[in-house]
Amino acid sequence: MSIYKTAVNKPITTLLIFVAVIVLGIFAMTRLPIDQLPEIDPPYISVMTTYPGANGSEIETNVTKMIENTLNSTDGLKEITSTSKDNISVVMLEFQWGMNLDEVVGDIRSYLDMVYDNLPDGCSRPIVFKFNSSSMPIMQYAITADESYSGLERILEDNVINVLNRVDGIGNLSLSGAPERYVYVDLDQNKADAYNLSVEAVGQAIQVNNLNLASGTVKMGKESYQLRVEGEFVESSEINDIVVMTTPDGKQVFIKDIATVRDTIKDFSLEEKINGKDGVRLIVMKQSGGNTVQVASDVRKEMEKIQKTLPPDIQIQMIYDSSESIRDSIFGLGETILYALLFVVLVVLFFMGKWRATLIIALTIPISLIVAFIYLLMIGSSLNIISLASLTVAIGMVVDDAIVVLENIDKHIERGASPREAAIYATNEVWVAVIATTLVIVAVFVPLTMLPGMAGIMFKELGWIVTITVVTSTVVAISLTPMLSSKLLKARNPNLLSEKAKKRAEKNRRFTYQNTVVRMLDKLDAWYAKVLRYCLRHKAVTLLVAALLFGASLIPVFTGMIGTNFMPQSDDGRMNITIELENGTRVEETVKTARRVEEAIMRLVPETELISSSAGSNDDAGISALFSSTTNNKISMTVRTNKKSERERSIFEISEVIRGELEKMPEIITYMVTNQSGGMGSNDVSVEIFGYDFDKTNALAEDYSKRFAEIKGARDISISRDKDRSELQIVFDKEKISKLGLNQATVSTYVRNRINGMAAGYLREDGNEYDIVVRLEEESRNSISALEEITLMTPQGKKIKLKEVAEIQEYWGPPDIERKRRERVVTVSVTPVNTSLGELATEIQKEIDKTEIPQGVLVNVGGSYEDQQEMFGDMAMLLILIVMLVYIVMAAQFESFSKPFIIMMSLPFAFMGVIIALLITGTALDMIGALGAILLVGIVVKNGIVLVDYINLMRDRGHSLYEAIALSGQSRLRPVLMTAATTILGMLPMALSTSQGSEMWVPMGIVVIGGLLTSTVVTLIVVPVFYGVMSRSGERDKAGKVQRKFFFMDMPDVPNEELRVGETEN
Amino acid sequence: MKAVFLAFSQTNTERIEYMLDRLGIRGFTYWENVQGVGTVKGEPHRGTHTWPEMNSAMITMVDDAKVPEILQAVKKLSIRGDGVGVRAFVWTVEESV
Repeated sequence: MSIYKTAVNKPITTLLIFVAVIVLGIFAMTRLPIDQLPEIDPPYISVMTTYPGANGSEIETNVTKMIENTLNSTDGLKEITSTSKDNISVVMLEFQWGMNLDEVVGDIRSYLDMVYDNLPDGCSRPIVFKFNSSSMPIMQYAITADESYSGLERILEDNVINVLNRVDGIGNLSLSGAPERYVYVDLDQNKADAYNLSVEAVGQAIQVNNLNLASGTVKMGKESYQLRVEGEFVESSEINDIVVMTTPDGKQVFIKDIATVRDTIKDFSLEEKINGKDGVRLIVMKQSGGNTVQVASDVRKEMEKIQKTLPPDIQIQMIYDSSESIRDSIFGLGETILYALLFVVLVVLFFMGKWRATLIIALTIPISLIVAFIYLLMIGSSLNIISLASLTVAIGMVVDDAIVVLENIDKHIERGASPREAAIYATNEVWVAVIATTLVIVAVFVPLTMLPGMAGIMFKELGWIVTITVVTSTVVAISLTPMLSSKLLKARNPNLLSEKAKKRAEKNRRFTYQNTVVRMLDKLDAWYAKVLRYCLRHKAVTLLVAALLFGASLIPVFTGMIGTNFMPQSDDGRMNITIELENGTRVEETVKTARRVEEAIMRLVPETELISSSAGSNDDAGISALFSSTTNNKISMTVRTNKKSERERSIFEISEVIRGELEKMPEIITYMVTNQSGGMGSNDVSVEIFGYDFDKTNALAEDYSKRFAEIKGARDISISRDKDRSELQIVFDKEKISKLGLNQATVSTYVRNRINGMAAGYLREDGNEYDIVVRLEEESRNSISALEEITLMTPQGKKIKLKEVAEIQEYWGPPDIERKRRERVVTVSVTPVNTSLGELATEIQKEIDKTEIPQGVLVNVGGSYEDQQEMFGDMAMLLILIVMLVYIVMAAQFESFSKPFIIMMSLPFAFMGVIIALLITGTALDMIGALGAILLVGIVVKNGIVLVDYINLMRDRGHSLYEAIALSGQSRLRPVLMTAATTILGMLPMALSTSQGSEMWVPMGIVVIGGLLTSTVVTLIVVPVFYGVMSRSGERDKAGKVQRKFFFMDMPDVPNEELRVGETEN
Repeated sequence: MKAVFLAFSQTNTERIEYMLDRLGIRGFTYWENVQGVGTVKGEPHRGTHTWPEMNSAMITMVDDAKVPEILQAVKKLSIRGDGVGVRAFVWTVEESV
């Protein structure tokens, strides 16, 4: 028994099965986490090795090269890059997306074990570090304070971090720029010299006077007591009264006599300002697998409670919350789906004109979509922009099958069959065809799941979701749709059986569906048939015009009017600004510039809600330092503006304004204003200059960066290799120091103690330890001459000045050495603004071609542009694969090699529509747009199948070729328009969406709508005409063929006598 | 005794069954899927891609008196629809066991 018959005969079972599916789906939906993207493990692994004392180039040859050579043969390795700087070698490995990184890490470990013995002695064991998406911060808070600033770290540790740590799923919480309490003992060198005291002596005096010690137990009578010395400082002021020495004349020298004790916050080398006020940033990370949206909302709730417990001058503000943009884009897409649903239902209602039929068809939408949620829950995925966008794509397609089935059922009912029988027999007639068209869609979407690279990760879910929903919709169409039709559709009114009665009834009701829409559609059908007949008579002209139109549409492609991008940039109201000042600028100066920039932003960008800036570097900033690299001459800022809907300028326009202002500031050497978001990768062209010689490659990089600056739309040009930085070096006279009984190690320690400070124990308060640091006061260590005057103590107790044993020289420290593909590399990266990535790359290539490249240097254009080229290559392969699969499905369906070609004739015209749509809207083709173009193949072909199949049918039914074509056109116009309209209107909300994160899907909507509009027209004109050209009249004349085959009927009559031979014999 | 052969579009199955019930005819032989083409008009019912519809057929042996009733009912049924055809043919049953 067939599925549709069972369904119609067991309506309750059928209904309940689908109710069960819906219940499961809703259950799944409530359980699904919300996230930006499907969980992607970025395939990056880095190997870090330290080799203390070696400089960059030593590290490069002895450590980095060794590790690179060994790891180069790791399976699945895509790219190997490295940085060698003083003391540290970092080798970064990029693998193919979707690899099992745990296996890879194992491989890397064993390779490293092999190479470890060959690394220089003193080299640490290499550390393998797997990059994890959960180590990306999900939220950042800016915390500002006035009076409480100095104690902010403690307050935050106790009241904020400890509380937030209890939130489920929270990962690391770190503070950046928090003021740390330090006790400084600043020694006056002259006074100390007068008493023959050194920094070390003072430090020791502090240490020995600051301790608690258990001194055993004392037994007294029946009791036993613990004996303790409690000598630790309770307050920092106690340090003042420590006696360092007693002079020969019996006078005591206190610390306060020779030094100043400051209980203060650590000298800053990293300065955090929020809207120009002192503050710190709290960086929140989630655990791997945690739900960003859930964690973020819990943190927000907790934060609100915490705020009340804090001193009133402490302000907590959100710098960014990645869950916000996730939620916005998910809700945006949800809205898109609802609009699409509404439009599709309206289209169906318009063409069908019956609310019961519309209801039955509309029901297939939620059922098919809900199955996607079950799938998502089963594979452990989430409601993310990919999965929701897939649903939007699917929404226009899932109704098609139900429409075909319902139309046929309706036809039978019109003819007088009872709904029940019509449901069974009409479904029986079309179910094979319905499955065949579904196969076409499957042929398009299943290959998407096999795409390699990052695109593969992104589109895997899309491929499966659309396949699953469309297959579900087919199952619904041949089970639930007939069942509901049998129950809901009404049999024809027996009173209106005769034509006359019908007409009379219609006349009485003027504005019925029959009198308005149907009449209009009938006219359209007739007009179309007329046009089609005309075109069939002028086949050559029609095809020529079509070919010319297609040719004309290619002009923009070859003249470069259509730009190409890699990934769309989305406007989430956030800018990251990186500013670099002259090398060696001290942090105080950098901070002044930061204030000026902040002030300029406030003035020029009234949309600004928050500016968080940090300048300088924090030597021990922890994990969060991985994400912000600031050194003394660098400023990094995050600017948050109000929401996209609340402002007129886009974040990109605002960025341009800021760039203009930064350009005007003379002290700024380079700057970058980026609008990266959602971890979707950057959008830049980088020119890689490979070559061993620093001078040659540096010169070339400088030259390029100047040339690129001239290119229109080139912004944020930056050179990856830092300029040589100035350093001071102490060069010892070894002979002299050994004569004095010193050695380099002791002298180095002495110098370090005097300048950086000597750790002299801790001040304990409430269970926390604060460093006590003894060093020279600032005046004695802030110039080269002051440094030369530093006093050192020989073992004999003799005072000498540093200049007596050493010379202080200024020199240029070598930069960090970056390597890629095991060669030294400098990258010049450029971001396109108001131009596309592809155009920028072309211009850059032109500039490169103009310059002469020195011997031994190799130049390569890479960056996002390289990824983009790779992606377009993958997409092109995919397109070919899909076209072939679709051809196979169609050839099987028509049992013909030639008919699929006729249908595929509409494909070039679909791409013509894509080009026109991109041109009109000024959109650049990117990854999502290219995907849209691929999806078009399936949608367009589906329309063609409907038409060609019907032409075949009409010819088989005995109509002549042209008559069959015209008749089919007339009869199939509505279904073709209907499927096209449902798909176009289903995509329209996506193309028009302006919600947060919509930038990603707009190109796809535009591409599909543009392609479908033209291809529908073409399907309706060119495909039938082409059919006429490709087919010979009478080709399908089966009767003639059979006649020739069975020619016995045409043999001359046999004589009567012979006819009766058998009879006479009997 | 007469044999009445009914050939009809599948979508009429329920009506034919109901008709026989109403006329009090119990015995019949029924072929669910048969192909058929009308002598004069109507779409062929061949179950192919070109002509997807199918017919069913039924033969029933009735008393001579029942025949006019059946034919009357079939006539009423056939004026209902344009495409949903039904035909009845009657011939004599010579012997039966």
